[in-house]
Amino acid sequence: MTVVPAQRRSSISRRLTWMNMVVSGAGLLLAFSASIAYELWTSRDVTIRNLAIQADIIGSNSVSALTFNDPAAAQTTLQALSDAPHIASAGIYTAEGQLFAGYSRNADAVSLPAPSIPPGETQVARFDGRLMGVARRVTFEGKPIGLVYIRSDLREVYGRLLRYAATAGVILLASLIAALMASRLSQRAISVPIVQLAETVQSVSHNHDYAVRATPSGGADEVRVLEDAFNEMLATIQQHQQELQKAHDHLEERVRMRTQELNTANKELEAFSYSVSHDLRAPLRHITGFSALLEQRAGSTLDDDSRRYLKTIVSASTRMGRLIDDLLAFSRLGRANVTKARVSLRDLVDQARAEVSSQAGDRQVVWRVAPSLPDVHADPNLLQLALVNLLSNALKYTGTRQLAEIDVGIHPNGQDRVVLFVRDNGVGFDMQYAGKLFGVFQRLHGTDEFEGTGIGLANVRRIIRRHGGDVWADAEVDRGATFYLSLPVEG
Amino acid sequence: VAKAVDLRYVSTLIACLLGGAAGFGAVRVVAAQQNPPSEHDVQAAYLYNFGRFVEWPAGAIPQDRFAVCVLGADPFGKTLDGVLDGLSIGGRRVVARRMATSDAASGCQILFISASEEKQLYATLESLKSRSILTVSDIPQFAQRGGMIQFVTVANRVRFEINLARAQQAGLAIRSDLLKVALVVRKDSRPGE
Repeated sequence: MTVVPAQRRSSISRRLTWMNMVVSGAGLLLAFSASIAYELWTSRDVTIRNLAIQADIIGSNSVSALTFNDPAAAQTTLQALSDAPHIASAGIYTAEGQLFAGYSRNADAVSLPAPSIPPGETQVARFDGRLMGVARRVTFEGKPIGLVYIRSDLREVYGRLLRYAATAGVILLASLIAALMASRLSQRAISVPIVQLAETVQSVSHNHDYAVRATPSGGADEVRVLEDAFNEMLATIQQHQQELQKAHDHLEERVRMRTQELNTANKELEAFSYSVSHDLRAPLRHITGFSALLEQRAGSTLDDDSRRYLKTIVSASTRMGRLIDDLLAFSRLGRANVTKARVSLRDLVDQARAEVSSQAGDRQVVWRVAPSLPDVHADPNLLQLALVNLLSNALKYTGTRQLAEIDVGIHPNGQDRVVLFVRDNGVGFDMQYAGKLFGVFQRLHGTDEFEGTGIGLANVRRIIRRHGGDVWADAEVDRGATFYLSLPVEG
Repeated sequence: VAKAVDLRYVSTLIACLLGGAAGFGAVRVVAAQQNPPSEHDVQAAYLYNFGRFVEWPAGAIPQDRFAVCVLGADPFGKTLDGVLDGLSIGGRRVVARRMATSDAASGCQILFISASEEKQLYATLESLKSRSILTVSDIPQFAQRGGMIQFVTVANRVRFEINLARAQQAGLAIRSDLLKVALVVRKDSRPGE
């Protein structure tokens, strides 16, 4: 679960603010650009009109000067233009187009020839990129008597534009601030509920607490729909979770009951098999005893076949007695108390080896026991019994080998368990019967081949399981077998 | 209108680009005046122009005519007739008249008193005093001596002085435009100063 940083949590409100700002800013900029463009477009017309009016005034004031050829008077009229700083130059021309009187803001400015006004027009406007000029006819009593040519720089226009732009800038700034405040306010209605909802979602996914509910923001919009849907979803999840918990609890209860029933049945079965085994011993003993007596008493009088029958009865009943004894021993193992203590695995292996060595007789056996074996927490008698069984098996099934090799060691991949292995180079077995290996009276080889009741590995498994461990085997026909037993390191 | 102006800008700009140097040269050319008009030619034109800047009382002027008269020896000759030919003032045809005595001037609106009349100027002006006739002359001190407009030549240029008081006494209203271009405007009524 990644924790979303705080600044990303508020990104919706930020984006909303930005959106508002950008939209209002762009709108205002567009509006201002349009008005400035319009202003530029119209200001030229305005300038021309103003210049035409000024030219008209100068013209009508210069009628007498022109009529009576008095350039000085015309000059005086023109001099009034010095109060208008944007007028660059002005000239009064006679009807013949000759300069009559001139005025120029810069003394060095060359007086220009007047532009000719086409017949039928009263004025001509000219723009040379820097100066705007208007030439206007001077008439007296309907007759043209001269011409006024007046030129203005666009300082006034640009000044107006500058003031306009400055005003626009101030308004823009004020509008953006207003938009910012407005969007802050409107955020309460949109982004705050969403951010709250997001926080609730986060807390739910973080704590897996499905009892939490999103607080309704009180709106009637999509946010409200979202909150309701989310709460509904949470309720469904919570309900499912409760049902699941109930089912789980129920299941546990059932498992406990079944386990108890199983245990009871198991105990009954065990008690039954024990008592059966125990009770079978007495009649069997009679069979064995009286068969033996019969053999002694009437052996010499019987023919060969009858003697063979009697022998078979004796040996079978003896064998049956052994089986019953083994079964009783096995049954006792299931009920015996496991008294754990810290024991040296090495000592146990050595004792078990000493116990089984007589079984080897004069066979050649190579024992390879790992020099250091760990200590384990186990019942020493039971564990030794298991080890004796395993080593005895190893000796037994290498009986056909010229040289028997038996390895005892610790498997390195035990992790939290001690895994002891006993490997031999005996006849092995087919792995497809591995499952039967540890069953009671299960044998993979005939009694004529290898003697035994088939209870040994069942005992091993019972002992190791009672220690909380496990046994398993690995083998191949004619290539030896490896038996593993794992024990918990502690307890 | 704006479009037409734009087109003119463009054409002017092209013209300037094509003939820039020639155009610039033309700026400095000052056309020499051929046959500069004589002093009397200018005065003749001014006599007509005065008529356009002066208002006569309603009853003192005929409906169809506006007479510009010359008293005494005529210095203009045919020039005056030439200047006035075809002109009108306030819808009235302008005519030129010549006369020997001021008694005959009763039908005149503008009376030019020739230099030949200088000796009896005072009497002449006295006889015209009560009439709405604009008196004009180039006799020295004419305005001071009771005349209304006196031509003065200053630096080869024809200028004039105005005796506004005398004109007002005669019921004539002289427009301020005219006063503006006058060399001197006298507002006192005392003659012979």
